[in-house]
Amino acid sequence: MRITKNNRGTVILFILPGLLLYAYLVLYPIAQSAVLSLFKWDTLASKRFVGFDNYVSVFSSSLFWKSLNNSLVFMVATTVLQVIIGFFLGYLVYLQLKGFRLFKTMFFIPAVLPSVAVGFIWSYIYSPSMGLLKPLMTALGLKAYYIPPLSDPTLALLAIIIAQTWNSCGIQVILFNSGFMNMPAEVIESATLDGASGLKMIWHMIIPLSWDIIKMVIILQLIGALRAFDLVYVMTGGGPNHATELLPMHLFVNAFQNFNLGYGNVIAMVIFIMALLITITMRKLMERDSLY
Amino acid sequence: MLDRKKDRDTTPEAEPNAQLMIGKRSTKTWIYISLILFALLVFLPLLWLLFSSLKSQADLTMNTWGPPKVWVWSNYIKAWKGSKIDRYMLNSIYVTALTIIITIVTCTPFSFVLARFQFRFKRLLYFVAIAGMMIPIHSAVIPLYMMVGNLGQYNNLSMLALIYAAFRIPVSIFILEGFMSGIPRELEECAFIDGCSTRKLFMKIIVPLSRDGIVTISVLAVLACWNELLVAMLILSKPECKTLPIGLMGFITEYNSEYTQLAAGIMIAIIPSILFYIFAQEKIEKGMIAGSLKG
Repeated sequence: MRITKNNRGTVILFILPGLLLYAYLVLYPIAQSAVLSLFKWDTLASKRFVGFDNYVSVFSSSLFWKSLNNSLVFMVATTVLQVIIGFFLGYLVYLQLKGFRLFKTMFFIPAVLPSVAVGFIWSYIYSPSMGLLKPLMTALGLKAYYIPPLSDPTLALLAIIIAQTWNSCGIQVILFNSGFMNMPAEVIESATLDGASGLKMIWHMIIPLSWDIIKMVIILQLIGALRAFDLVYVMTGGGPNHATELLPMHLFVNAFQNFNLGYGNVIAMVIFIMALLITITMRKLMERDSLY
Repeated sequence: MLDRKKDRDTTPEAEPNAQLMIGKRSTKTWIYISLILFALLVFLPLLWLLFSSLKSQADLTMNTWGPPKVWVWSNYIKAWKGSKIDRYMLNSIYVTALTIIITIVTCTPFSFVLARFQFRFKRLLYFVAIAGMMIPIHSAVIPLYMMVGNLGQYNNLSMLALIYAAFRIPVSIFILEGFMSGIPRELEECAFIDGCSTRKLFMKIIVPLSRDGIVTISVLAVLACWNELLVAMLILSKPECKTLPIGLMGFITEYNSEYTQLAAGIMIAIIPSILFYIFAQEKIEKGMIAGSLKG
């Protein structure tokens, strides 16, 4: 339909509220973040233009690089874990053996829980006094090896990775399952008639056919992990000794606990640019015609 | 062979013939074992939470794993009374409901225009709207915090809903536009011939037909808002205004050592989420898939 004199008013009326809201609360703040990253706050009320000083302090701060490193580790680990488990379980559910609906439901439940609850549950599982981990390891004869994960710099990040995987894996299962259901039936059927089954089926047929979904899940998971804040905040607050401080947590600590807002905005920009880069790079990297 | 062909014609979805795809019969057992194993891994922490919430403190210390010896329901009563969980839940419900309403009211007309009209800057507008999907709210959180302060709107739940709705716009437009593009144009042509104005066309025809899409974006909005922590934490500080996630955190620090009551409180807090999921399961699945297909 074209815009005529008659319906121009209606069209504008239809677009305006959404556009205004979006521009004011999403686009404008992001632009502001970019601009404000060039300022420094001496007190909460005064700010002065400092050019790229903030960027220099961020990039020369070892804590920043540590949190960047943490974030990268976290992103790769959660993505690898969740994609593999999600693919595997999604496929098993896709086979639609008896009771698959129940399994599907169960796998997804952790994903609807508030992160505070998930953080609490896992903090207590890991805890030395009330938890499950210690008795479990004792039962397996590993009592001597038990260290409370959340107080140990080397184990803490791994502990959070596991908790995060538990939390979000169900999403991957559902996405993969739907992706599999969208595969053309005839191709699969003819493959089975030709004798493909089991691992051969997966490697030669399922993976190529669902490559689009795999791509999408990986990108989504990477970007989601980039923004992971809630679990870290609830379980460790970034500690011990910044071992679990991911980028959003680093932002939070600097902007809202140290009131270094300029610094915080730089990190905000870093997160934003990383999200863009990941989307663009991964799309290019994973371009491959699916076997349609 | 003839029978299978008939089946193929009538079933729209790919129903995998599991046996043929698996191969050996014994693999089926392994598959069930894997499924059950993972289901247990998923379920056990929740079961542990449930048990812990029903034990007395002494029972928990001595018997961490097993079911409670005596079912202590008073934990729940104490948790409910001692915290303001009912208040927090109401706040969360208010914010979520308002977010949904704002999202629907702003996005449905917008998507309609994008789906049906042609004009010079349409592609640009569409791109700008969708690009927002890649903007992490964390990157905008500092300016938002300052903006809310400047407007004096701290502790205003409606303000929170506005922010949430704004960030739901890209995904919602993406989904709705897809839906609306699929509505056959003949319907509109008939309406025009009958002298229907654009506005009426929208209200009487497009909106009812887009009901599925609207439900989808609402469900996705619920999932996004109900558990949101960061923005809510920054904007809400007065106890009466807190939403469920923040209230829950405060509850945890307050009742720090009374684990059984903590567990009960957390159980109370997650029951709405679980109920919502059970009722809306199909819609949630459909919504997630629709929202993830970034073209």
